[in-house]
Amino acid sequence: MGVMRVTILPEREVREVQARTVADLLLELGLHRDAHLVVRRDEILTGDVRLAETDEVEIYPVISGGGR
Amino acid sequence: MRCHTCARPANVEIRRSRIAFCAGCYPHWFRARVQERIDHDRMFRRDERVLVAVSGGKDSLALWHALTRLGYRADGVYIRLGIGGYSRRSQEKCERFAEWHGLMLHQVDLEGSEGFVVPDLREARSGKPCAACGTVKRYHFNRVAAELGYDVVATGHNLDDEAATLFGNLVHWNIDYLGRQGPVLESTHPGLVRKVKPLYRLSERETAAYALIERIDYILEECPMAKGAKSLAYKAMLNSLEEQQPGAKYGFLVGFLKQGRAALPGTGFEPAAELRACARCGQPTTAEVCAYCRMADRGRRRRERARPPAGVDPT
Ligand code: SF4
Ligand SMILES: [Zn+2]
Ligand SMILES: [Zn+2]
Repeated sequence: MGVMRVTILPEREVREVQARTVADLLLELGLHRDAHLVVRRDEILTGDVRLAETDEVEIYPVISGGGR
Repeated sequence: MRCHTCARPANVEIRRSRIAFCAGCYPHWFRARVQERIDHDRMFRRDERVLVAVSGGKDSLALWHALTRLGYRADGVYIRLGIGGYSRRSQEKCERFAEWHGLMLHQVDLEGSEGFVVPDLREARSGKPCAACGTVKRYHFNRVAAELGYDVVATGHNLDDEAATLFGNLVHWNIDYLGRQGPVLESTHPGLVRKVKPLYRLSERETAAYALIERIDYILEECPMAKGAKSLAYKAMLNSLEEQQPGAKYGFLVGFLKQGRAALPGTGFEPAAELRACARCGQPTTAEVCAYCRMADRGRRRRERARPPAGVDPT
């Protein structure tokens, strides 16, 4: 299992991680599943999708704060 | 994972229901959930005019999009809060959305028409203007709706927002707020328009997925004042729980609305007999001058003090 590069929005911070699946990836990064969407080539991925080192993956945080 | 509707590879999973949808089927599922809530909770009818309160964020734009696609007559209202570049960029998102979909967007310009901006309302203790900002929004959403004859104001509050608010109200035992928290706030006075939250059973992740799939161009950045907000801490706690127990957030909120709320004294929907017109602005209030007008005075005074002395001002 090699190292893959992921981009975390909105700041486009780049992280390198080892992960077999999308669910592993979030666990590895310490991110809540219900607080993020994982996107590859414009497609949202479910937790069970297997990832390859060459995949370009983006993570969208979905939680907004402040009183509304 | 396969799509619950068409069996193609899925994109969005709904862990609490153990189902998933592909990008093609997901928006239909999402809009059906919105429709179900509008009907079941009697939020509004097809012949009523809806005013959607938009911020440029994913929730309010997803709501406006879904209502329009469901065939409702829904216009938007945006308040220019004057929070620097964040406000400019979010205003642009709302304007572009309205233009692209051929929708009517009303705007309130705080600085131009009221003489203050939200950062003028910072509290000395916390340094945050959020409580006052909430008052500003509620006031103007209601005022615009009442003046222009809308039947209902719809906001984009989602499951995570509502569960976090409930959690906060429980942590502090705000019994008064608890009794009033819900997806429909009925009108108790002719000058108070009904408020509804059609997304209240859809999670924040689900509204974000809808916005992405429908290619809604929303503002990803957060309001700079949101940093360190209590609601974010509550949301993170609830999402930790959700990780272990999918459906916990939903059960927490919906269980409260179905059972917990009934056990509380008063739902706050009794006709508010003691309301009268604010001496300054005419909006319904229990005081001589309404809370908004008093707050606006504070904002204007702050702004006045911050302004450079006459003669230095280049204008
Ligand atoms: S974070 Fe606070 S100041 Fe910013 S929009 Fe929300 S309530 Fe207003
Ligand atoms: Zn499908
Ligand atoms: Zn007033």
